[in-house]
Amino acid sequence: MLKSKALVSLLAGAALMTSAAVAFAGPKIVSGPPADPACFKPWTDQTKFFQWEKKPGPYRIAIVNGFVGNTWRIQMIKTAKAFAEQPENKKDIKEFKVISTGTDVAAQLGAIEDFINQGYDAIVTIAVSPEGFDRVIKLADKNNVVLVPFDNVLDTDKVMMVNEDQKAIGKMSADWIIKQLGKKEGKILEVRGLPGNSVDRDRHVGFREVVEAPGSKFQIVEVVGNWDDGTSQKVTADAIAVHGKFDAVYQQGGTTGTVRAMMDAKHPFVPIAGEGENGYRKLVAEHAKDGLKGLSYGQSPGLVAISMKAAISALKGNVMPQLISVPIPVEDYTTLKDGVNYWSNLTDNFFTANAFPSCGVNISATEIMAKDEANSN
Amino acid sequence: MDNVRASGSTIWFRQNTGFAVIVVLFFVVYALYHLAHPKGFSSQVFIQNSNEVFGLAMVAMAQTVPVLMGGLDLSVGAVMTLVDCLASHLLEGSGWSLFWGIIVCLLAGTAAGLFNGIIVVYGRIQPIIATLATGAIYIGLALFLRPIPGGKINEDLNWSFTNSLGDAAETIGIFDDGKAAWFSPFAGLPTAFLLLVIVAIVVWVPFRRSVTGRTVYAIGSAEGAAYMSGLNINRAKLAAFTMAGLFSGIGGIFMAIQTSSGNADMPMAGSYTLSSIASVVIGGTSLLGGSGSAIGSIFGTLILRVISFNFRIFDIPPLLQPLFEGIVLLAAVSLGALSILRVKNQLELFR
Repeated sequence: MLKSKALVSLLAGAALMTSAAVAFAGPKIVSGPPADPACFKPWTDQTKFFQWEKKPGPYRIAIVNGFVGNTWRIQMIKTAKAFAEQPENKKDIKEFKVISTGTDVAAQLGAIEDFINQGYDAIVTIAVSPEGFDRVIKLADKNNVVLVPFDNVLDTDKVMMVNEDQKAIGKMSADWIIKQLGKKEGKILEVRGLPGNSVDRDRHVGFREVVEAPGSKFQIVEVVGNWDDGTSQKVTADAIAVHGKFDAVYQQGGTTGTVRAMMDAKHPFVPIAGEGENGYRKLVAEHAKDGLKGLSYGQSPGLVAISMKAAISALKGNVMPQLISVPIPVEDYTTLKDGVNYWSNLTDNFFTANAFPSCGVNISATEIMAKDEANSN
Repeated sequence: MDNVRASGSTIWFRQNTGFAVIVVLFFVVYALYHLAHPKGFSSQVFIQNSNEVFGLAMVAMAQTVPVLMGGLDLSVGAVMTLVDCLASHLLEGSGWSLFWGIIVCLLAGTAAGLFNGIIVVYGRIQPIIATLATGAIYIGLALFLRPIPGGKINEDLNWSFTNSLGDAAETIGIFDDGKAAWFSPFAGLPTAFLLLVIVAIVVWVPFRRSVTGRTVYAIGSAEGAAYMSGLNINRAKLAAFTMAGLFSGIGGIFMAIQTSSGNADMPMAGSYTLSSIASVVIGGTSLLGGSGSAIGSIFGTLILRVISFNFRIFDIPPLLQPLFEGIVLLAAVSLGALSILRVKNQLELFR
């Protein structure tokens, strides 16, 4: 009986009619300026501003991470915990939970929806796909939950998001490599990140826009390093074995592995634009005089702290930009300084960029490393 | 063994200990989750859980059929992704174009499965290698269809398939907008859950009972004996892979509807394929073939998912969660294998 009725409804589904859309609450679109413009800087002049209804604190905040298993994500989780435990933030946070769902979009959507149903006030997430979150955005708005994607953001302007300009990172790296080479030709190794992510895509697109611009004659060899040292080391070694010598390298993450692969293969040092790993910066500082000219930009795991701060600020009823731009922390081989922007006494896996003075967010290297990832919430 | 004549249900239990343990384990863990959840036992939570389970459950059912035959299909995640990307192009319109869109997507999934079958049967290549290769082809096609994630799905379709039947009826405008008196007992049921039941009843059960379906089991038990008994081996093999394609395709359509977009996401395709094998094994199907069922695999998926549901409620340190998940899975599989301890003649294990 039930079965046949369901079939009827399925068939009817084939002839869907447009229905009255359900009205949803959610943030009001207001005009600026934002609450704390030095920290919450709008992406462009056209960026909209959101304002949620003020909620009484303290708040319940959840972090729904996707992929876990590279050092960046682990440091991100440690940073989030360190931030939540700093006294000035602790007073605003009643309950704090971190979960990782893997690369499965259905699981991530389910987890976000679960926290909405549990009545959490804010959900900070790294989206595993730039598309597909329409449903949870609707539900978050309906329940007045502040959803904050950061790092891998969504292709929508309906949620508040926090990021560094990834396309600018790609362009900046390409410009820097061209400047170092002094010519617009040569063979460049491009080591990409985790496929399917918006960060990977945007950095790639920004880079390609410059190196494939008319007048440039670069030959680009593209490999996938998953933003991971081990994977990058392997694929770089393979690429060197197959293609011989490269004139420069553009790396999205896992740079320490790439440099080590080049050293192992006795590949001469060439200009390399890479991430902000401590190990990479250590190697650059050590070998710059031998020709390892390095540019090190940082997508900081500390973005999670800015995102949590933005979520709390939004819950307090402040005006917030829809897309918050965090400045790109960047250094090159001429500006590296031990104990300031890299630490020769810390592990290779540490991501160096974590201070955001304009936001009052500074979780020191030692503070994060002291945070045991296994300790309880 | 026993001289006392066992009743039908006892025999069933003895033959399906693993499956029964899994079902009980699932209900216990799921009840814990609901009891601790602020909105436990509410329609919203059931909806959210069903949506999360559906895609993987389909891929797990898909995997079950080749496994029953003693093979493995490494392309199920890829077929799902391919159909997901195709659906993101075809399901944007409304009315009949949606209907035909769904048909074309189902056919695409089925065709991909049939292609696997043809390579295995007529190319005489091991299923695991054949599907590894075709999986790469399907991901390539998916990337061709959606080089970057995007696309759009009809909003009403998205809303009705990812909510309760009541919401679906209201969106479509049937049964007095879902407020008809006879309809109210079902209004809170998640559409995805009902779809899962329908697929199991309409597609799996008839297949299981057909000669072709039973031949699949026979091949898994002893291919030589099945052949000597005059069963049509080739037809059953083709059917097994085609069924896998169909199930994966349904999963792909739902994935597209759920996310309102298509994404040729390679890591996700890979993780779905792996999870499908895990679901099949947890659900009590033998990797050697010949015993088990797609219904068991659905429960395997439920177990996989329900563990992570609990992470959202109980305080488990985030970086210990994978370890914890592994321990529970190991426990689940071990409990299912407990029946081995009662085996009196070790030769029975080599069946």
